[in-house]
Amino acid sequence: MKFCINFVIAASLALAGAAAHADEERSMLSLKGFGSLGTSGTDNDSLRFRRDIKQGRGVGSGWGIDTDSRLGLQVDAEFNNAWHATVQWVARNTTGDFVEQNLDWAFLRWRPLDDLDIRAGRMGFDVFMLSEYRDVGYAYPWIRPPHEFYGGLPVYHFDGMDIAKKFALGEGQLTVKVFGGHSFNQVPIGLSEQSDQRYTLAGIKLAYEQGNWNARIGYNYALNNLELSPLHPLLDALNDPALSAVWPDASGLAAKISAKDKAVHFTSVGLAYDDGLWLAQAEGSYIHSELNVYRSVASGYLSLGRRVGKLTLYTLLGISETLNDRSSVSSPLAPVPALLELRNAADLTLNTGGVDEKSISLGLRWDVTENIDLKTQWSHYWLGNNGSALWLRPASGAAADTVNVWSVGMDFIF
Amino acid sequence: MKTFLISLLLACIPAVRAEILVIGHVKNDIDSLTAKQVQDIYLGRSRVLPNGKFALPIDQPSPLRAEFYEKLTGRPVEQINAYWARIMFTGQASPPQQLPSDEVVMRTVRENEGAIGYVNKASADKTVRVLLQLD
Repeated sequence: MKFCINFVIAASLALAGAAAHADEERSMLSLKGFGSLGTSGTDNDSLRFRRDIKQGRGVGSGWGIDTDSRLGLQVDAEFNNAWHATVQWVARNTTGDFVEQNLDWAFLRWRPLDDLDIRAGRMGFDVFMLSEYRDVGYAYPWIRPPHEFYGGLPVYHFDGMDIAKKFALGEGQLTVKVFGGHSFNQVPIGLSEQSDQRYTLAGIKLAYEQGNWNARIGYNYALNNLELSPLHPLLDALNDPALSAVWPDASGLAAKISAKDKAVHFTSVGLAYDDGLWLAQAEGSYIHSELNVYRSVASGYLSLGRRVGKLTLYTLLGISETLNDRSSVSSPLAPVPALLELRNAADLTLNTGGVDEKSISLGLRWDVTENIDLKTQWSHYWLGNNGSALWLRPASGAAADTVNVWSVGMDFIF
Repeated sequence: MKTFLISLLLACIPAVRAEILVIGHVKNDIDSLTAKQVQDIYLGRSRVLPNGKFALPIDQPSPLRAEFYEKLTGRPVEQINAYWARIMFTGQASPPQQLPSDEVVMRTVRENEGAIGYVNKASADKTVRVLLQLD
């Protein structure tokens, strides 16, 4: 199956390339793109702000341009009314292989009926309202997707299949989509290392669109296939058979810390309203995690906006909270310094990845031309004790509990 | 003198924005379309015409394009573009193909039974069928 999907991705890339040389008269091929140029800075250097946990570099008071700046290119090849291929690649600040990790879409689509789409290849991870187009700033009012909701999501795409069917329902349209596959991600660990992650994913979403309203509800399942590489030294030490006499719980602790073959469940609801003048959007999610190093979290945001001519003024409230209690870590029977050090390492691993973040933002979008906008946004973040996992933190030292982030940017499509 | 008076009279009338006609092929057997049907086709929600044929909607450059969407949906064209950015960059559908002028749109509609276009009222003639008038 994995081979088949890789084959489809390669075929999509090749077909899009081949279509580039084909008969342009039939306009079967198109090149489109989008991008953002943005700069942002904070007022506190004890933490570094990043757009999401896929980014290993952040910005501080010195400002920087690579949090939000990006350039996406998309080639669409329309072979006939039933067959279509799309390839999209986005240059952005990311972790891991710059070519492979930034390829977000490469699929073949078959449309056997007018309202049925079957796609295979690489596709965006459709877990929340914005998760498939987080990079397309032109498509939403904010400078970036709400941090509490999207900042904790390192998965942009997966390799597999999806099936979407549309139904007329009442005055509107209901879309039911199911998907499944694998996702390979390289994520930053601390400030200098990275780790490979591979998930087996499956999900379903129901989306309803009627007039000015958009609603969706979704469930996604992700099974973690690999042990997180930074955990290896700790797990090896705890699993050492020599330890069992002086610390009988050590191997149980290792099993608790291990992330392999444990699942994450995403449940979410979203509602958006836009009548041309007023806009409102809210989403809520509960992410239930079986991984003890990545704990269950509940998040939500609410945004209101008002358009005045070419200007959109908006406000955004966000919240994300880790729900699990602190994990207790037993002590070794013999208080040997090396063992106590190991116990502390286990305690840190289990109990420091929490999210406790709230924010308020005010921003302005100005539609300068039909395909260019300028935006500015101020955000004030409150971070609880052990609650800054979405940020980059120094290895030691206390982190701030409030931070302001200012941003200015331009989005365009072509 | 008469011409002068007529020009004066015309100059006094507040600028009337051109009427836009939504047109289709003469043989398509559709008497007319509602604004909602045209909206569904131009926003990619519906891919077929009421007669079951595959729809081929055609766009034009602004300022006519901006005026068309404003009249059809009541929204400025920037919002339509933001909507399409979401749809096309998530690989769901592509926006209508853009052709450069009323003349080219007229020719394309005459040649394709599934085609739907929009033109200034003055450019339309009997070689196409008028499906909806937007004013």
